[in-house]
Amino acid sequence: MQGHLARRVSSARNSVIAHRCLYQVARKEASLQENDVSVPKMPPFDYSPPPYNGPSADEILAKRREYLSPSVFHFYKKPLNVVDGKRQYLFDEEGRRYVDAFGGIATVCCGHCHPDVVEAIVNQTKRLQHSTVLYLNSAIADFAEALASKLPGDLKVVFFTNSGTEANELAMLIARLYTGCHDIISLRNGYHGNASATMGATGQSIWKHNVVQSGVHHALNPDPYRGVFGPDGEKYAKDVQDLIDFGTSGNVAAFVSEAIQGVGGIIELAPGYLPAVYSTIKKAGGLCIADEVQAGFGRTGSHFWGFETQGVVPDIVTMAKGIGNGIPLGAVVTTPEIAEVLTRRNYFNTFGGNPVCTAAGLAVLKVIEKENLKENAHIVGSYLKDRLAALKDRYELIGDVRGRGLMLGVELVTDRQTKTPAKAETLHVMDEMKELGVLIGKGGYFGNVFRITPPLCFTKEDADYLVDSMDYVMSKM
Amino acid sequence: MALQRQLLKRTKFGYCHNLCGSSFSTVSSSSAVAGEAPPPQLPPFDHVPRPYNGPLADEVFQKRKKFLGPSLFHYYQKPLNIVEGKMQYLFDDKGRRYLDAFAGIVTVSCGHCHPDILDAITEQSKLLQHATTIYLHHAIADFAEALASKMPGNLKVVYFVNSGTEANELAMMMARLYTGNLGMISLRNAYHGGSAGTIGLTALNTWKYPIPQGEIHHVMNPDPYRGDFGPDAKRYAKDVQDHIDFGTSGKVAGFIAETIQGVGGTVELAPGYLKLVYEIVHKAGGLCIADEVQTGFGRTGSHYWGFETQEVIPDIVTMAKGIGNGLPMGAVVTTPEIASVLAQKIQFNTFGGNPVCSAGGLAVLRVLDKEKRQAHCADVGSHLLGRLRALQQRHEIIGDVRGRGLMVGLELVTDRTEKTPAKAETAILFEKLRELGVLLGKGGLHGNVFRIKPPMCFTKDDADFLVDALDYAISKM
Repeated sequence: MQGHLARRVSSARNSVIAHRCLYQVARKEASLQENDVSVPKMPPFDYSPPPYNGPSADEILAKRREYLSPSVFHFYKKPLNVVDGKRQYLFDEEGRRYVDAFGGIATVCCGHCHPDVVEAIVNQTKRLQHSTVLYLNSAIADFAEALASKLPGDLKVVFFTNSGTEANELAMLIARLYTGCHDIISLRNGYHGNASATMGATGQSIWKHNVVQSGVHHALNPDPYRGVFGPDGEKYAKDVQDLIDFGTSGNVAAFVSEAIQGVGGIIELAPGYLPAVYSTIKKAGGLCIADEVQAGFGRTGSHFWGFETQGVVPDIVTMAKGIGNGIPLGAVVTTPEIAEVLTRRNYFNTFGGNPVCTAAGLAVLKVIEKENLKENAHIVGSYLKDRLAALKDRYELIGDVRGRGLMLGVELVTDRQTKTPAKAETLHVMDEMKELGVLIGKGGYFGNVFRITPPLCFTKEDADYLVDSMDYVMSKM
Repeated sequence: MALQRQLLKRTKFGYCHNLCGSSFSTVSSSSAVAGEAPPPQLPPFDHVPRPYNGPLADEVFQKRKKFLGPSLFHYYQKPLNIVEGKMQYLFDDKGRRYLDAFAGIVTVSCGHCHPDILDAITEQSKLLQHATTIYLHHAIADFAEALASKMPGNLKVVYFVNSGTEANELAMMMARLYTGNLGMISLRNAYHGGSAGTIGLTALNTWKYPIPQGEIHHVMNPDPYRGDFGPDAKRYAKDVQDHIDFGTSGKVAGFIAETIQGVGGTVELAPGYLKLVYEIVHKAGGLCIADEVQTGFGRTGSHYWGFETQEVIPDIVTMAKGIGNGLPMGAVVTTPEIASVLAQKIQFNTFGGNPVCSAGGLAVLRVLDKEKRQAHCADVGSHLLGRLRALQQRHEIIGDVRGRGLMVGLELVTDRTEKTPAKAETAILFEKLRELGVLLGKGGLHGNVFRIKPPMCFTKDDADFLVDALDYAISKM
């Protein structure tokens, strides 16, 4: 573990930090005393969780090892037993509060156990949990209508599934049927799911098992930080043309990508990339699929959907995670013309569009609007990004700060020139921040990127606490 | 409280076979000869549905057509707007009660809005809906343990997913990874899912889109009613050996089957079939997967799992539908040895095993045990089958009565020797039964099989009402 001195750069940004009265920023010493004055304080929150009398962390861990898949992993050296959630906070078995800066992987958008969403779920559950679309029920229709109203162009036919994987699988199926082609292009470092076709579209070896994954070509990732062409979107787009010209019949079924890669480490596609690629794909007869599983629902702050940040209109949009604030729900939205292909045979999803999940989905849309969560993501997210950028000026360890709204990434490197991933340091900081009461996520191919995707009700105080904690931990390294 | 039954317009008594000695034999129906008797009455039920002020059927139907796509199909010429459910009954937008003999496609296992399940869902939704398995939580561990305890042999590692399709996708991938072989074998007339991968396993043309499906072999269906070999399992099993010998490298990844085909029309595999086939498949290096999505959780009455009726122990078991009484949930259970292959890479499911669904699932297991639902299925099921067989004696159109427990099928034919599917008649009767207050399911490649798979709280009175209604409706054709 390297210890290094904090490099102080005087800049305008420091004046913001200097106002933090919690602790002194200008510290030269590598080690700090265990001193209450220096440790940041969590913002206050007026809620006490009910006492927890369930199994302890150790008991649960033992049961998980025995009864759950050996590939189920957990964060932290000492795994955290999370038993209660409220808004942007989580509580452990001892009632200790944590700032949830990961949002259950960008999933809890309104906030844990948001009363409006819980009410919708409970009320519907008491009335009718499940009947299938074989019968009518207004919940699915109302939610489909509301969702469609959030999408541009002719994107107004909705298919409900139970997960992002199912949504992407369906999108890929639709594209292949519509075009009569099999080849699909996705990005290296992208993540789209874990079933047959989606595992193929996913572009990271750690998520790809040794099974046949046919028909997918992985294009150069338009990664402004690590990519060979820096932030020049159009240069990367040429790789897609090359793949089509040399690797396919000249016609493809689709192109699929996230606007900001989530699992891949919050990589915002180089500007100008998607418009160039969409044009190439259309010329090759293919459909453009936007995977909005993480970037959707206002998380980017500037727009409701991630693809809007790139100035494009896709042919198919997939979503999940935040769509239901945590309830298992996914969706595919496309045009009536494209949706027609599924009439050739029967397509059916037993749980998809059930009254409870769709009632929850509708409640989520209403909360996002009522509480101006997109605007909040923009304001708090910009503030947070600025503070993180200031932190980068002070610590060599931070190689890049990126993202938009409340979808932010902090990449740690041991060398800013060579950009060598600081994997061990990342784990260490994550663990130490948890001790301070901040839960963040991790991603990137090398596992060296912090993923900050909190519930969209995250406040500036929470942002300060997050940055101050990171600062505190890094200053002791 | 019994709802006011609409009396059907009395039609002139038509053509009906073999009335001598027939009787409407129960308390819930009027007696006397069919045709002169009024339609049978629903058993009484002490629940008043809440007043419904939401959109009516037409409005909902229009919205569905606009926002849910042309491929979304529904039951009944005049689709039914179901707004509330209680135990084995459903209520439409006018407060009319129906006997739910299909349970949202074999999904509502305990009963609509069963209080114990409601409690579990409500309580957990207020505490924590979602955090993912990167943190610990007791609900997933407790449920996995309880589920594993219901399994024979060394089947005790559980993966939670969100649907039957996801479960079967995972099972197929596991089989291929574990064996290193590619070929999968499934039965003609099977249904295993609607995603690109599982479409390959599914073997009914109405559900198969024209896409590449990998190396899948569909073997002769051991269908005692329509199969060439009647109930002779040995001769059907030989077809599996033939496919392996002539269609594969001699080694396969696995074999998958439902013990009683659901979508395929409640076809119970010829007795002894699975034992023979499991041996063949194991010799060819393959794993045996039991799809318990419909037959699991005591529905067959005689056993907890469908595969137990065939006296085999599979290598992998998949389940969904009834597992959560309607909660979107699926699971794959296998041995630690087979599970270990997934540890080579990461395999993660964001929503899978979330606290609310796990709590719901655990509550389902407890309700089924506490209320002795398996024994109940055996009891009511045999009564139902007995009455249906008696009905078969009286109506030529009933070609076959089959099934076990509360997984029952009634196949209609226009000619008992030719077994010509009575498609039109089935459709007509299906509508008539709805008018009488009975909601059945439909299945089979030709859509001529009534699927009777109600919530497992279905009573003998319900069974009598159902049979009487069928008798009444058939008599009037």
